[in-house]
Amino acid sequence: MRFKASIQNINTFTKLTASLNSLGPLAWVKLSDEQVCFTIIPEQGTQVWAVLSIDAIFETYTVQSAANNVINLEVPLTSLNRALKSALNATSAQIRLTKKDNQPLLALTIMTTSSSNSYAAFPTTGGNVNEDDLEQIPMDDGLRGNRETIITQEVPVRVLGPDTVAGLHEPQCREPDVHIILPPLMQLKSISDRFTKLALAGAKAGAGVGTSSRTRLEMAANMHGCLKMSIRTDAMSISSVWTDLNNPELDPSQVAGGEIGIAEHPSTRMKQLGSADGRSEEGWAIVRIDGRDWGKVMSVGRLGGRVIACFCHEHALILYVYLPSDNGEDESVLTV
Amino acid sequence: MAVLSFTLMPEAAAKVHDLLVCLGKFSDTVAIEARRERFTFTALNSSKSAYAALSLDAKQFFTSYECIPSQGSPDGRFTCSMYTKALLSVFKGRLYDPLGRDGAIDHCEVSVQDRPDQTECRFIIKMICNQGVIKTYKLTYEATEVMHALFDRNVAKNRWSMHAAAMKEYIEYFGTKTEMLDIFAGEDGRAVFKSYTEKITNGKEILKHPLVTAVAVNTSDFEEFNVQMGLHIIISVKDFKAIVVHADTLKTSLKAFYSQPTRPLQFSYGCDGLLCEFTLMTSGDYNAAPTPTPAPQMPSRANSRAQSTANERPDMRGGRLEMPPPVEPASRRSTRRRNPGSRKARSPRSAEPDPDSLFIQPDEDDARWEPVDYNNEEETLGWDASAEHGSVAFPTFRDSGTLSRTETEDNNEAIAPTQRVSQVKGLW
Repeated sequence: MRFKASIQNINTFTKLTASLNSLGPLAWVKLSDEQVCFTIIPEQGTQVWAVLSIDAIFETYTVQSAANNVINLEVPLTSLNRALKSALNATSAQIRLTKKDNQPLLALTIMTTSSSNSYAAFPTTGGNVNEDDLEQIPMDDGLRGNRETIITQEVPVRVLGPDTVAGLHEPQCREPDVHIILPPLMQLKSISDRFTKLALAGAKAGAGVGTSSRTRLEMAANMHGCLKMSIRTDAMSISSVWTDLNNPELDPSQVAGGEIGIAEHPSTRMKQLGSADGRSEEGWAIVRIDGRDWGKVMSVGRLGGRVIACFCHEHALILYVYLPSDNGEDESVLTV
Repeated sequence: MAVLSFTLMPEAAAKVHDLLVCLGKFSDTVAIEARRERFTFTALNSSKSAYAALSLDAKQFFTSYECIPSQGSPDGRFTCSMYTKALLSVFKGRLYDPLGRDGAIDHCEVSVQDRPDQTECRFIIKMICNQGVIKTYKLTYEATEVMHALFDRNVAKNRWSMHAAAMKEYIEYFGTKTEMLDIFAGEDGRAVFKSYTEKITNGKEILKHPLVTAVAVNTSDFEEFNVQMGLHIIISVKDFKAIVVHADTLKTSLKAFYSQPTRPLQFSYGCDGLLCEFTLMTSGDYNAAPTPTPAPQMPSRANSRAQSTANERPDMRGGRLEMPPPVEPASRRSTRRRNPGSRKARSPRSAEPDPDSLFIQPDEDDARWEPVDYNNEEETLGWDASAEHGSVAFPTFRDSGTLSRTETEDNNEAIAPTQRVSQVKGLW
């Protein structure tokens, strides 16, 4: 079993692990010749099935194993993320699977040249940085050059046998009623976070006992570019509506049944209903999700990808996150 | 009837805040020792494995400073101890702010009310703020004996020094929750700082094991690097982080001095009348790499792993040992009285009132049984405040390893009753 790669896109990899880590502590990482899969299946909450093309994060990638060159690992995301963070200013970073004291681990070898500005302030009088210190910076640089440091980070992992992961499959879901490109996630997140907070405060101020602390965000979208987010408690009802969003066209080659499939697709039917100003009562596909879960999912926004939400009315919400490079596809499945 | 009063400028008060934050990471209480020429904060952690002494120079650090120890006090100092948190709530952050915003002070006046004719003994701190606001804090304190850990730099042949800002960059790579730090002088011109945890876990738990981080630094990046090749020395990563973060607030270089594992290590830095010295326990070398130390050292090496896990192992001993001393031959007693080795003067009110208590618990680990090495001057490393300062002696910590050695050096005929026969054979 052998895995070795140099990390090409440290920033993306770090952000990916950070986003995944907000949804669960452990990830199943499947390394194969064609792609890298990150899967999180928490006991409750949101599942993530992320598929990345190898060159989205790695280069000079080798993976070898007795099981068709596939390696399955269970990786603690907090440690991996922490390790990757130390590579943010790296000139190069390598990751490989190795063993120490019979314990498998992912070893990251990171070469950095330390930022010399942190080295600027000399032991000076008074400790406050004055102009003299600033003038000394270039001199200091010339004196020492770049300080090259090698950092090795060892993340303990567990190797999973092929039979262990054989039973894990991406959940199947019926064709969505509505698919829509979400507005910028930062915007969405700040509003949904506020909604959740209001609902929680309302629940506490109210009867208290008996009211569930779970807050239900109601998300709805139609095929006319509208997204509605609302929250309802005993005391209040708030909603925000976005309009003029994009409902991407389905690609006939990707849909089962081709052209006929599209004609019979639930979203085509949904197009007949509702209006572009979002005032109509008809044509909405609605899902209810936990506010806190949603907040965690929104953390994927840091990757800055394009997000398409697929609504299965009263059933599930699936978010597809496409990385800006367009190479990878990170797919979050949110089931309600 | 001690008189102690001093005035601090905002910059200095802010430094007091920084150093209290640092000391708070070692101990809940901070001891204060005021002398005519300097004012020292000391802290000793609960496992007695780390000792910190931060001295403020009377002339340089303070705008005005007056300390007249009470007449009765033989050693010319005023000592007390206080809760670190209590002091920190007075010396808050942002005392120094060039823009004079909220929290900034004009200056700070401290005095001690310590007279029998007054009803209360208090440590009084007046923060003179802008717009004529004066905040007065009266803190209670506890009379205490302040002990010092002495470190003999002459025997600490291994030294390095590096700018704290660079060091801080390295500690930021370390994973959270790690416990130990191994400082290793590699043979390839690199020094390796490795943070790890010794806890052994199995099965699923293994994934909770903290990161192991090794930072390899070119020795040429150090301002000075003079360490025996292949030497591993292990300290607590938490202590190291606390020290580096504080050294970084002073924008100064951090210097390390050490001899060998299981012997204390000292970090030292300072500027502008502030001198910080941290003396830390070290443990045996990680992975037992060979170090060219004298052969009789072998028992300690074999035990190195056990020591590093047992954090409690006191390299620095408090004044008292727990065990009642075994009966001692009269001949030995006289010898020790006559010559305490490197400790020249000993206070009559020593924190170690019973000289017999130098003996070691029989079930202590083997490392404490380090055989004597007569050829090695390095072995006379001790914990005694008096030698360096030359002033009147006061209670000291001591390293029992040194003491047993001193004994045998003084009197070759008398072997400590608890010493093992096998080791005696090895010596002669």
